[in-house]
Amino acid sequence: MTVLAGVGIYCFFAFRYPYHIHFQEQCQLFESTWAYFASVASVPGGFADWLGRCLTQFFYYAPAGALIMAVLLCGIQLLAWAACKGKSLTAYALSFIPSVLLLLFFCDENSLAGGAVAIALSLAAAVLLSIVRKERLRRFLEAVAAPLLYFLCGPAALACVLIVIAREIGGTGAKAIPFSLLLLALFAVCPLVAGRLVPYPLSRLYVGIHYYRYHNMVPGMLWLSALSTVIPVVVSLLPGKGKSILPGTAAYVLVAAAGVFLVLRTADMPKEEWMRYDFMVRMQMWNRIMQAADLRNPDGPKTVSCLNLALAKTGRMPDAQFSYFQNGPEGLIPGFRGDYTNPVSTGEIFWHLGMVNTAQRFAFEAQEALPDFQKSARCYRRLAETNIVNGDVEVARKYLGALCNATFYRKWARETLSLLDEGTIFEKRPELARARDCRLHEHDFLFSDTEMDSMLGLLKVENSSNAMALDYLMSWCLLRKDLDRFVECIPLVDAPAMPKSYQEALLLRWVLTHSDFNGLPSYISLANVRRISEFISDVQAKKSAEAMQKAYGDTYWFYYYYRYLSDNDLSRDEKNTSGPDSGPYSGGL
Amino acid sequence: MKRILPVLTAALILAACSAGAGDAVRSDELPPLYPDYVGVTIPVGIAPLDFTVRGADELDVAVSACNGAEVLRSRGGKCTRFPAGRWAALLPKAAGDSLSVTVSARFGDSWKTFKSFPIYISEDAIDYGLTYRLIEPGYEVYSHMGIYERELSSFRQREIIENTRFDGCVNCHSFNHNSPEAMSLHIRGPHGATILTGEDGMQAYNTKTDSTLGFCVYPYWHPDGRYIAYSTNSTRQGFHVQQDKLIEVFDLDSDLQVYDIQDNKVISAPQIKRKGIWESFPAFSPDGKTLYFTSAVQVEIPGGLPQSRYNLMKVGFDPATGTIGKDVEMLVDAAAAGCSITFPRPSYDGRYLMYTVCDYGTFPIWHHEADLWLLDLETGETRPLDEVNSADTDSFHNWSSNSRWFVFSSRRDDGLFTRLYIAHFGADGAVGKPFMLPQRDPENYYQNLFRSYNVPEFVTGPVPFDRIRAQKMINSPERVQFGFRWSD
Repeated sequence: MTVLAGVGIYCFFAFRYPYHIHFQEQCQLFESTWAYFASVASVPGGFADWLGRCLTQFFYYAPAGALIMAVLLCGIQLLAWAACKGKSLTAYALSFIPSVLLLLFFCDENSLAGGAVAIALSLAAAVLLSIVRKERLRRFLEAVAAPLLYFLCGPAALACVLIVIAREIGGTGAKAIPFSLLLLALFAVCPLVAGRLVPYPLSRLYVGIHYYRYHNMVPGMLWLSALSTVIPVVVSLLPGKGKSILPGTAAYVLVAAAGVFLVLRTADMPKEEWMRYDFMVRMQMWNRIMQAADLRNPDGPKTVSCLNLALAKTGRMPDAQFSYFQNGPEGLIPGFRGDYTNPVSTGEIFWHLGMVNTAQRFAFEAQEALPDFQKSARCYRRLAETNIVNGDVEVARKYLGALCNATFYRKWARETLSLLDEGTIFEKRPELARARDCRLHEHDFLFSDTEMDSMLGLLKVENSSNAMALDYLMSWCLLRKDLDRFVECIPLVDAPAMPKSYQEALLLRWVLTHSDFNGLPSYISLANVRRISEFISDVQAKKSAEAMQKAYGDTYWFYYYYRYLSDNDLSRDEKNTSGPDSGPYSGGL
Repeated sequence: MKRILPVLTAALILAACSAGAGDAVRSDELPPLYPDYVGVTIPVGIAPLDFTVRGADELDVAVSACNGAEVLRSRGGKCTRFPAGRWAALLPKAAGDSLSVTVSARFGDSWKTFKSFPIYISEDAIDYGLTYRLIEPGYEVYSHMGIYERELSSFRQREIIENTRFDGCVNCHSFNHNSPEAMSLHIRGPHGATILTGEDGMQAYNTKTDSTLGFCVYPYWHPDGRYIAYSTNSTRQGFHVQQDKLIEVFDLDSDLQVYDIQDNKVISAPQIKRKGIWESFPAFSPDGKTLYFTSAVQVEIPGGLPQSRYNLMKVGFDPATGTIGKDVEMLVDAAAAGCSITFPRPSYDGRYLMYTVCDYGTFPIWHHEADLWLLDLETGETRPLDEVNSADTDSFHNWSSNSRWFVFSSRRDDGLFTRLYIAHFGADGAVGKPFMLPQRDPENYYQNLFRSYNVPEFVTGPVPFDRIRAQKMINSPERVQFGFRWSD
């Protein structure tokens, strides 16, 4: 059964939740140095945290991460089972509870592996202590183990203390109560002592410093898991070995069914989708993004921004952007938020646009915003790159130096350092050369997200080969429904044929400002003219939004009138009943 | 015999060097040290100046004093490791004189002995230690940070307070004439407060009043301990898009006020709270009768930012009545010279005033051109401190309690991460070559330190700060509210 559970856990993380695994890895920088170990392990629970981080570095590869999760959770189940005195089927079934709760815990991307490692170490200690037969020696070791485990594993070591107490009371009855109370008191005092030695408030020393990324939140599921480790032990100590309470098979079925049901219910699939897109952006899998979007049109703001980046990188944005769901300019370049997720993927957009300083700021801010004060390997790599491009080589070397201590970044960092030494970095790393060439050289100003069009325009003006800047500029105008600005920027377009969405936008503006199609620029196709005429007719016929989406969902016109309805749009709609039929062109055609 | 002995000793040192260094090739070059300790002036009570030689695989270093009568060796390894006890015993013997350092280094298979260089030992004492903030040189979001105390005679660094104890950011710490007994410490964030410690213990304050712009920042203690000058700044950040600059920190508005601890009131006056004028960075003179500060004519933000230039000003202050003088006097017209002044810090002997000059604005940390300048308050002469300035940012500074040393922050190391340098300031105004804050393995230490040093300040003894109590106080919502009154 353990093997079966292990296979299930592996399959869950490897096939249904792999991008949560990747996400965990990018939120840390595990350095194989003594200084790193000392800095992490010097607080209560730090050793377990260090081991957890060590395991998390292998999440760079999702299958490896899934395997580690499966082994860790199954190991916890086996240890919970091993801690039981009697070996009943009921106790065996109940020994899965801690692992199931941990599985639920890890559906949350802010859960840290150190918490599970802490429970595993505590259980291992409980099992080892149970081997000692001599009562006085065992109790002495248990008394020593309590504070030691608190230091190594943090307060989740309560699992070990509770199991020890259960076994002592189960073994010698009421005689063990004074010792048990003493042991509990000893354990309870540990955070008080630690509070004098480490710079953390008592609340965190009692709840755990590094079990959860947000320190002001109690990781309830982890604590339930830690406390539930004692359940199979208590059941195994009951007379009749628990058979009278619940039949073993029924208990097993119940735990398994509840586990599967709760995990599927708890898994955050929208986040998984965004993490998938973000991962593909990180790995520059542009075509895979397009394939994923063709299978299922993404609609989350962050996911759409990843899709738009892929459209631009594959040169399809001007033609195909409105074939996919668009949610306004926020889906093109999301605004800055001081958290550790948004700036990472938004920074990728600035990096590819050639806005190197902004990419650097977003990468820096993203890792600074990590609530558990860790650093991010992904962000360090980007910071090394931006500093190289900006000519701040000494700063880049610092980041590269740290990455040299990280298993899966070492090779890249060392190669980059060698290229820096050789002076061939821009020849051997074309992506850096591109960013260097695309960035602004002549104009300087303070970044303003309300003047994005000006910044994008300057990128294009200073470097005419920066096609992506033009795509983003035009798209920015279109998504903001700023057709006047769009038309102003049209002279920057230097394409053999006017792209589809640009034609649609120009046509729309034409009908909004003209009474007929006479004098229409020649680069607008007749097919588009016919189609907008049909669009207007259908609108005037008051066809439903669903029908309009079916017929015109791939057009800019549909976006203009049915998507991203800003306050202005809404007030216009309220005033003018609805839609485009009350616009200036309605009488003109 | 007296003449022969030093010669013999020196010969023995050289012999020892060459024995340790095999058949080293002698060079007339100075060794490429990190940190650059060649020719620096240091105090007697400073920790060992360990260093590495760039590119070297192994070192053999001899430090001699008193014409070679005393010798300290460090052999093996890429970094020197001078024994702390012997170093501490050696320095007093060379006080007023110099140490001679001979470095032999192995590069691959061959050894090279560099030209010996001096380290000058000043007889002027230095304070017990430094306090500073360590923070990543970032933008708007902050991560792990703290205020720390560093004992200068050793490598010991101790937490004063870290932001792991609460949600927020710690900054603007200040001591009264380097005394650790009285401190002002500002906390930003959800648990924002200003903590004051002194004779009456520790108290958390809400420094924002209805009559002032915001929270009190940039503190400077009055010498008698009753007053603290603060500014209130409506500060914003902007981010450059070009590579030469990263960040611009500027004020949308700023004023000055003096807090009277005894009356729990901030005192302001129209002349330091002028409309259309930004006042900032107050500092009391050592006699407590003058308040120095910077001020600029308000400009349009962000367009006019390159034209925002702060001058050095002063106004009288009567400590007996807490009255701010009526007449504001300009000491240095920086705007006329096309530059801007920040961080005025008078020496405690009252003779000089050191300040930072940059092209424009009020936050020189992000200005590569920022340099330290000195104003002679007796003669009115100003000059750049070329002895300590570098090609990169040289900025925030403070004096030791005897005014014979000053500490300043500099980005000369790599252009981003601020490090601390200490320089000797002679009674005659001569300034020695600064030395980087010593660490046991400085190259490794600074390479792996991703935090910058902020707001360094000397302290004359260990800071008796009750961290647990402060933590409770910060996490509690209780704050004593500052009152307000206008100056007479």
